[in-house]
Amino acid sequence: MAAPSYSRSPFSLLKRIKLSQSTPLLAQARRAGLANVKDENQTNAFGIAPSSSQPLPPDVARTIETLPVPRAVQAMYLRPLRRTPKYGLPVCNLQLRSYSVRNLDFFADFAMRAAYFLNLPAKGPVPLPRIIERWTVPRSNFAHKKSQENFERRTCRRLIQIQDGNPETVQLWLAYLEKRGYHGVGMKANMWEYEGLDLAKRMDREAKEMQYGVEQEFKRLGLADEHGQELKKKVQNLLGATAEKERQKPEGLSDVSR
Amino acid sequence: MAPKVSKFAPFRSKKLDLGCFVNTLVLRDHTKRKVFEKVEPQRQALRYIIRNTSLPQRMRAQAQLQLTQMHCYTRPTQIKNRCIMAGRGKGILGDFRMSRFQFRLNALAGNIPGVKKASW
Repeated sequence: MAAPSYSRSPFSLLKRIKLSQSTPLLAQARRAGLANVKDENQTNAFGIAPSSSQPLPPDVARTIETLPVPRAVQAMYLRPLRRTPKYGLPVCNLQLRSYSVRNLDFFADFAMRAAYFLNLPAKGPVPLPRIIERWTVPRSNFAHKKSQENFERRTCRRLIQIQDGNPETVQLWLAYLEKRGYHGVGMKANMWEYEGLDLAKRMDREAKEMQYGVEQEFKRLGLADEHGQELKKKVQNLLGATAEKERQKPEGLSDVSR
Repeated sequence: MAPKVSKFAPFRSKKLDLGCFVNTLVLRDHTKRKVFEKVEPQRQALRYIIRNTSLPQRMRAQAQLQLTQMHCYTRPTQIKNRCIMAGRGKGILGDFRMSRFQFRLNALAGNIPGVKKASW
């Protein structure tokens, strides 16, 4: 229920007054206090608004209109570019999931472009089969099983595969996608890393080194106290010897001074 | 000083970390979940002793006795999924943790992402 008119603020009354015949969005912005919002129709294709004080000379305006669009901007209107893989080894499988195809396709496109600019050869987006889940529930809160209603949830999926990518770059790509995540789009990635043929030898070597370290540790295990005692004795001996020397030195010095 | 324990609800947790509809039954279920979480390692240890045939028979029998004498709230079978919107214990859709009627209401209201009326 609306509040009585005397309790409404005078500013909310202004909401009902139409200030101009411009577009509703613009009018809304003006009402919200953004007085300097300009009409979008006055800007040209590059989004440059002509200054209100003096219009551009006609030849300058024509030149601006005929300027070539930058290639990076032009590419946004075309299908995403892709790198060709050299070996075709799969390195990462990224699965995008969403309930809305629109968001999903947009984000898949974005991911492809990001992969291109990171120098990653990407395959896809492959449309995977939709997952359709259905639930049937009675319409009423109690009994009346004969009258039921069906609900469903369709999950759309897209697969993007990265081939021959450097694992670090792939992780960077994934992190970037996560940072720029789009609403309502989920991601799941599987990564594979490839090792050289000398992996087994290297692992053996590492195991040996580790074994040595562990043995050194185990030698001291349970002997910490004894070890400490020994060390203490050594320190005492050492300190005792130096103390003796110290004691002897001043005597010698004093002898000299005499 | 030991925390004061209610005479009637000795297991009730001091903090109710619940973000759903609350009634007695939901509270009780919450308590059971908490208790089970706390004693699970102990239960598993006892179960291990009981099933390990290499251990002496006497020890295994004792473990059996101990396990059966634990409070019923420590049993995982006591835990029951309940509707987060209405606290109902029957007709719960596991995907949404809601009872069937609450699911229908919320789905029709568009509160559950992706769920629509189906027709095929």
